[in-house]
Amino acid sequence: MIPFVAVVSLRNRESRTFRVWIPLLLVWLLLLPIAVVLTPFIFIACLICRVNPFRGAAVLWQIVWALNDTQFEVEHRSAGMSFHIL
Amino acid sequence: MSEHRRQILQMLAENKITADEAERLISACEQSTATPPVSAGEPEAKNRPKYLRVQVDSEDEGAHDGPTKVNVRVPMQLLRAGVRLAGLIPASALRQANNAMHEHGIPIDLSQIKPENLEDLVEQLSDLTVDVDQKDATTKVKVRVFCE
Repeated sequence: MIPFVAVVSLRNRESRTFRVWIPLLLVWLLLLPIAVVLTPFIFIACLICRVNPFRGAAVLWQIVWALNDTQFEVEHRSAGMSFHIL
Repeated sequence: MSEHRRQILQMLAENKITADEAERLISACEQSTATPPVSAGEPEAKNRPKYLRVQVDSEDEGAHDGPTKVNVRVPMQLLRAGVRLAGLIPASALRQANNAMHEHGIPIDLSQIKPENLEDLVEQLSDLTVDVDQKDATTKVKVRVFCE
């Protein structure tokens, strides 16, 4: 399943935590028309670089699909940050 | 008495092997019979790791801010997809990368690395565990890379 939400947490020195939920679904929906408009140009660029555009699209789709559950955390006494794709 | 054991004793009687070698062979046979056979398919898939984890604990003894901890969890699927992306690099770009590496004394031919090799490499990451402990006068760094 493609990721729907990314959660970014920031903690400051006073242990106050700010949590931002980014709806990735909206990002995908916004990117979709842009991708459709850019498709012919990407196709031509792929042909110039001798890359199979269909294979490239498939791999990009696999990368987006596999982003689920990626987590990155940095913790320090004075601050902390975490990024989690759900 | 098992067939293998009988053969080993026969070889010992014919002086084809020494007593030490016979003992080692018998113990190896016993170990192989004691280990239950791994059925292919499902159990192996269950043990397959899902994530590559990188944990870094760094402590600067001079500073009083406490340790810094970094925790990264990357799905293995993402690694596999990244490896497939690397397989799309055009031949001209590979040649340039090869030339640049040869200039820096790294004799690796990237065009010889095929996507299936990289797939095997990612598969073998399941057995990977890297532990690095570095301690000097002021800093203490501990790095762990493993699959889970």
